[in-house]
Amino acid sequence: MSKCEQCAFFFPIPEKDMDFEPGKGDCVLQQEDTKGKFWLSRPVLESSAACQHHRSKR
Amino acid sequence: MPTTERTARLKNRCRFKHVAGGEYVDAGVKAGVERARLITESHKKNVGEANCIIRARGLENILNNITIHIQDDELIVGANTEHPDYFPMYPELSYYSTVDMVESRYCDHKDEMREIAEYWRPYTIQTKGEKYFTPEEIGVMYSATTVQPPMFVTAFSSIVPNYESVIEDGLLKRIEVVEKNIADANANMRKSPWNAPENLHYLDKLDQWKGMVIAMKAVVGWAQRHARLAKIMAENFLSEPKRKAELLEIADICRHVPAYPARGLRDAMQTKWFTYLLCHSIERYSSGYGQKEDKLLWPFFKKSVIEKSAQPMTREEAVELFECERLKVSEHGSTKGRQLREFFAGSNDLFILTLGGINPDGSDASNDCTNAILEATESIITTEPSISFRWNEKGNVETKKKVFNCIKKGFGFPSIKNDEMNTQQLVKYFNVPEEVARDWALVLCMSPGITGRRGTQKTRSEGGSDVYPAKVMEIALTNGFDEFFTNVQLGPETGNAAEFTSFDQVWNALKLQLRYAIELSLRSKDVGRVMELKHLCCPFISSIDDGCVEKGLDANELAEVANPWHNIIGGSVVVIDSMAAIKKLVFDEKKYTMGELMDALRNNWEGKEQMRIDFWNAPKFGNDDDYADSIATKYYDLVADEWKRNTTYSGTYPLPLAQSVAGYIVNGPKTAATANGRHAGEALDDGGSSPYMGCDKNGPTAVLKSVSKINASKHKGILLNQRLSTVLMNSDSGFDLWHAYMKTWHSLGIDHVQFNVISQDDMKAAQIEPEKYTDTLVRIAGYSAKFIDLARYSQDTIIARTEQDIKAG
Ligand code: SF4
Repeated sequence: MSKCEQCAFFFPIPEKDMDFEPGKGDCVLQQEDTKGKFWLSRPVLESSAACQHHRSKR
Repeated sequence: MPTTERTARLKNRCRFKHVAGGEYVDAGVKAGVERARLITESHKKNVGEANCIIRARGLENILNNITIHIQDDELIVGANTEHPDYFPMYPELSYYSTVDMVESRYCDHKDEMREIAEYWRPYTIQTKGEKYFTPEEIGVMYSATTVQPPMFVTAFSSIVPNYESVIEDGLLKRIEVVEKNIADANANMRKSPWNAPENLHYLDKLDQWKGMVIAMKAVVGWAQRHARLAKIMAENFLSEPKRKAELLEIADICRHVPAYPARGLRDAMQTKWFTYLLCHSIERYSSGYGQKEDKLLWPFFKKSVIEKSAQPMTREEAVELFECERLKVSEHGSTKGRQLREFFAGSNDLFILTLGGINPDGSDASNDCTNAILEATESIITTEPSISFRWNEKGNVETKKKVFNCIKKGFGFPSIKNDEMNTQQLVKYFNVPEEVARDWALVLCMSPGITGRRGTQKTRSEGGSDVYPAKVMEIALTNGFDEFFTNVQLGPETGNAAEFTSFDQVWNALKLQLRYAIELSLRSKDVGRVMELKHLCCPFISSIDDGCVEKGLDANELAEVANPWHNIIGGSVVVIDSMAAIKKLVFDEKKYTMGELMDALRNNWEGKEQMRIDFWNAPKFGNDDDYADSIATKYYDLVADEWKRNTTYSGTYPLPLAQSVAGYIVNGPKTAATANGRHAGEALDDGGSSPYMGCDKNGPTAVLKSVSKINASKHKGILLNQRLSTVLMNSDSGFDLWHAYMKTWHSLGIDHVQFNVISQDDMKAAQIEPEKYTDTLVRIAGYSAKFIDLARYSQDTIIARTEQDIKAG
């Protein structure tokens, strides 16, 4: 089963940042609605099961 | 017109969150659940800890985990919810407000939120506060008839954040200071010999300081999350070089602030916005946009725009940044219960920033940053944030012309406050040193408070909450019983007016009913304050106040600078005109008896049209008529004296503040027919000293003279709405005429004035073809709204205001 770790939208948190935790990263997704584009970021763990938006890293 | 293509695009797609008739206008607006979910999750893990630690951990969990977002074109980033269309919920504040929202169409997660609301019910400040009141008192307060429901159920608050300390110090330096306090306290507690009186106070302080450190570190981490998102967007999602560069600059800014002191205008603006979100909308909800923006940003405007020594930018770019700020505020979502949503008709919340006045050294405080803010206001045309301009004789004419330009365009703001009078109020009543008082800004719509690094207002339980005078007068005539709306005893038994044989008896009944309403309302505020400091600590808000850091106290607890005030909302002039009519027609001329009047009022003047016209034609406030004006003076002295009898949490008495918000519209339907000739249910007067609609017939100078007879220095503020002719304001001599009017206003020692400049024809046309008038703004009372967002009834009350010809005055 795919994990967030393998997803192109997973970005590990740098160690020096306040919210750093081993294995934690930002899941960044683009959205668009009638009012325009925006980008969302929420924390996920690299070991989490991938979601429907998963896209493999190239 | 927006000054750049970016702000034109941002305005075009702005996710406004205005309410009309108590509902959000835009269909996409939703209640976000992440804040509520995260604070609940953290609370369950930390129950048993000191409240300040529980609250700090709650904030930390929110900031570490809430979904953050950046929208296309944005220059200022950060929001209070997981989606740009959402507003947050605060289950820890009020059970009723949460349930009201959960059961509304805005909440898509009903089951989860019902569970969260029930989890919090025993912990809310509502449950904690209610215990100190009888069921009858709760019934009176929750009926929202004579007083506003208490803050522990409305969850409404207001605050002036200590922006200066974050911008000047940066949070990492403040963390060092607090950690040193912790280290010193620990060292003192271990000194030999053990001395309990000298050391036990550290226990609470240590908890407070630890909470502050947790909160500040979480805030730095939250800003870093924004920095990462901007960088990830630039490097992974976008190809357009200009936007990529902007996002990399945003990433640099969010990495730098609020961790470190601001370098230039972009840093200062971003720090200010993050701090605003945290203090007003994330740690807890508080209304307002209290800040002296031109003072706060001037050093950074100088560095970036004039000297170009840090974050260099052109003046045009600075104006664009201020336009972006106005749009950011416009799409900010706030959660309020139904009563407050109705009170803020046409708006999403109360946002009022302050400009102008003088500096601590007495020099003119209007600068080119003031001008740039006003230019952005004029070009972008948004209702929010509203602006208050401190009118001082020393203020330069160039800036006053820019103030005039906004008013002339019909924005309804800047509203004008008398600078000297408001400064002296802080000096005289609240012992503020004059040089500190000179940096005052409005806390909310009308009330001055200090700004700066310490001692600013932190809670609505210090200033705010309402008494509704027209309803109070109604029950003063009916033995304290509400026959019209609730069928409940709302006040003490002060006699039936049909049996009153002197005007003094009427007056005395009014006084005693007012006294009861004032004392009940004040007690609920102070009980709320204690509930806040015990159960709703705000470690981040405390961490940015130098006084709280020094003393290890929560911001709700520390009342370093007292600033108590209390609103008298809409209806004061209905009371004054009614009293004048009763005096004249019943007791002086004896044309009618009190019995006949009470019959007529109970029957809404039915079958008594001639009698109603007699009462309508009795002397009215606003015409420089001493008969009515002397009653106004007596009434305003009475309310000041009645508040003065009390001592509040912060150790002094509150000053009354006569204004309205949209209360004059909302409370009209709850108020029976009144002796000024008004029918039951009709709107009340629209502010503290605004003449009743259509009753000021002698021109603008007569209005000013009537208003000037009230001793405004005994009050926190007294609102005056005036409607001016569009033709005249737009004529070649418009500024000169207005300037002369303002000089008269100032010389008469009046506290406040604000203007609607819109023609009857335009308003009527907007009612027929609203789509053509999307940028038509009007002043309600204390804030402005898009005319087309208002309910028809509210629109009609503005059309009914007398248009003054200042040329003729
Ligand atoms: S949650 Fe989905 S989109 Fe996000 S990183 Fe994991 S798999 Fe990718």
